[in-house]
Amino acid sequence: MVDQSNSDIPAVTMTQVNKWYGDFHVLKDINLQVADGEKVVVCGPSGSGKSTLIRCICKLEDHQRGTINVLGTELNDNIANIDEIRREVGMVFQQFNLFPHMTVLENCTLALTLVRKKSRKEADAIAMQFLKKVRIPEQSTKYPGELSGGQQQRVAIARSLCMNPEILLFDEPTSALDPEMISEVLDVMVALAEEGMTMVCVTHEMGFARRVADRVIFMDEGEIVEQNSPQEFFDNPENERTKLFLSQILQH
Amino acid sequence: MANTPTTLPPTIPLTHTIKQNLFSSPFNTLVTLLTAAFFITITYKFVDWAFISSIWSTEDEPLCKEATGACWSVIDARHRIIFFGLFPYEEHWRSTLACVVMIATIIASCVPWFWSTAKLSTLWLLGFCTFYILMHGGLFGLSVITPERWGGLALTIFIFAAVSIIGMPLSIVLALGRRSKLPVIARLFGLFIDFFRSLPLLTILFTAAVITPFLLPGWLQGDKLYRVIAGFAIFFACYQAENIRAGLQAIPPGQDEAGLTLGLSYMQRVTRIQLPQAFRNSLPAIVNQFVITFKETSIVTIVGFFEILASGSAAFGTGKWTVYYIEVYVFIAAIYFIFVFSLSRYGAYLERKLRVGHG
Ligand SMILES: Nc1ncnc2c1ncn2[C@@H]1O[C@H](COP(=O)(O)OP(=O)(O)O)[C@@H](O)[C@H]1O
Ligand SMILES: [Mg+2]
Repeated sequence: MVDQSNSDIPAVTMTQVNKWYGDFHVLKDINLQVADGEKVVVCGPSGSGKSTLIRCICKLEDHQRGTINVLGTELNDNIANIDEIRREVGMVFQQFNLFPHMTVLENCTLALTLVRKKSRKEADAIAMQFLKKVRIPEQSTKYPGELSGGQQQRVAIARSLCMNPEILLFDEPTSALDPEMISEVLDVMVALAEEGMTMVCVTHEMGFARRVADRVIFMDEGEIVEQNSPQEFFDNPENERTKLFLSQILQH
Repeated sequence: MANTPTTLPPTIPLTHTIKQNLFSSPFNTLVTLLTAAFFITITYKFVDWAFISSIWSTEDEPLCKEATGACWSVIDARHRIIFFGLFPYEEHWRSTLACVVMIATIIASCVPWFWSTAKLSTLWLLGFCTFYILMHGGLFGLSVITPERWGGLALTIFIFAAVSIIGMPLSIVLALGRRSKLPVIARLFGLFIDFFRSLPLLTILFTAAVITPFLLPGWLQGDKLYRVIAGFAIFFACYQAENIRAGLQAIPPGQDEAGLTLGLSYMQRVTRIQLPQAFRNSLPAIVNQFVITFKETSIVTIVGFFEILASGSAAFGTGKWTVYYIEVYVFIAAIYFIFVFSLSRYGAYLERKLRVGHG
């Protein structure tokens, strides 16, 4: 649970963040603040740096200039800081990244027992609670390879939730799914949003963005080009690049 | 079609499959028949030689000259040399028991129930201590028998077990080291691995046995047997490390990232996420390395140890037995076969077991 004293500290503050892959400038002067409990949707063309941006927030990537502050702790090379952040920030990947050699339940309890030091029994109980929440408790003894994509992604969400994160990051969670499975995952995400989870979602699901986002951010070529409330963003985009992008994804 | 009562696929009769695969054309039929005839002849000849026309007991040895089959009298008379080498005759029970203990330890560690660091280390510590006390003596009123006089099957199994149990953890360290994010570390481990892989095993064993005594201080030398095992284990580990590394390489990077975002430490990610998947990925190659190593134990003869193959040569080396080397080699081949075949079958079982849920 969030301390009362914590709730006015922004969940994420990025100030003048720059990152390069070799000499490719992938993030350019990123300034972004995410308030506690806020839901931010990030969109933009492929290769614009969306994944890189949210991977920087959980330190899967290093940034080279600027500062990133998560829940009041600065992300620098201090190992203790990084560990602390990683325990509070959950991440859901496009490719699910479930551990194929463990059952669904073991996927969820692994970090509970190793990181949170729960007993086997406690961990099982917590994991089952979250598997119920994503409506998949009956699959707990199966292996990820035996589940559909939508089921796997819901397990991945449950696995993150088990760690009781303050912030949940999503990197195109529905992009690898067959169309008929997208809504079962989005439903779970909507439910989470309604409970007040702080969320940063990279997604092109515009219905989802309209429904839950407090703010939509548009990225192009490593820059935040435009940000606005979903209503304004979709109905009155200001920037030419945003207009072009929206016309492309709304075409069909 | 709509009224078909069952949803099962149509079954193809076995006779049809056989006909399709073996007798589909005159040429195909001819090849099938010739091959069958060849194998039936070979099998019949071998069975006749080994079991039907053969002589079995030591006393019947004079009959061997007339017999068309195998003369197993040589095994009956000389099996103790084959199994025990130069180990003192009246202490053979100790070697037998030591063998049983070591085989039991190997079999136990193949059982998944034992697969935790604590259980495995306890098991192997107990196994090796018991083996050592039985073979070496000096405790509990057992007379001392130094490793130069160990031999036969007990020595072969001991070398195999020791090389595996030292080599396996070492190979994991080497594989992880070679994949280190720090370029200097990765280079150093890479150099180490490639250096030892570029040398023939024979050279390494010879160096360990003969040359290291000049280089190492006395207290570090240990017995020749232990130096040879150490050299062998490093050789084994370098090959096994490459197998494990191949398995690690095949794991998608997202696996480690998922572990990172869950807050798992490096060691936790390695032991819970990476290694289990790496072992599964390269299991055939890993088992293969064990098989090769079991057979390569015979090479220690070169530096003066009487493992089972050398003891076998000694068994037909004297007097009237010199003509029966074929029987001795067939007998030893059968022993190797039992071990190596079990190892392969165990590997196949593991592959099936680890494939759970991976389609
Ligand atoms: N590890 C990497 N090394 C070099 N270039 C990379 C790496 N990861 C991503 N990139 C490049 O950085 C750019 C942004 O990538 P990414 O953040 O994944 O974009 P998005 O998620 O918006 O599609 C892309 O052009 C991609 O090719
Ligand atoms: Mg991406």
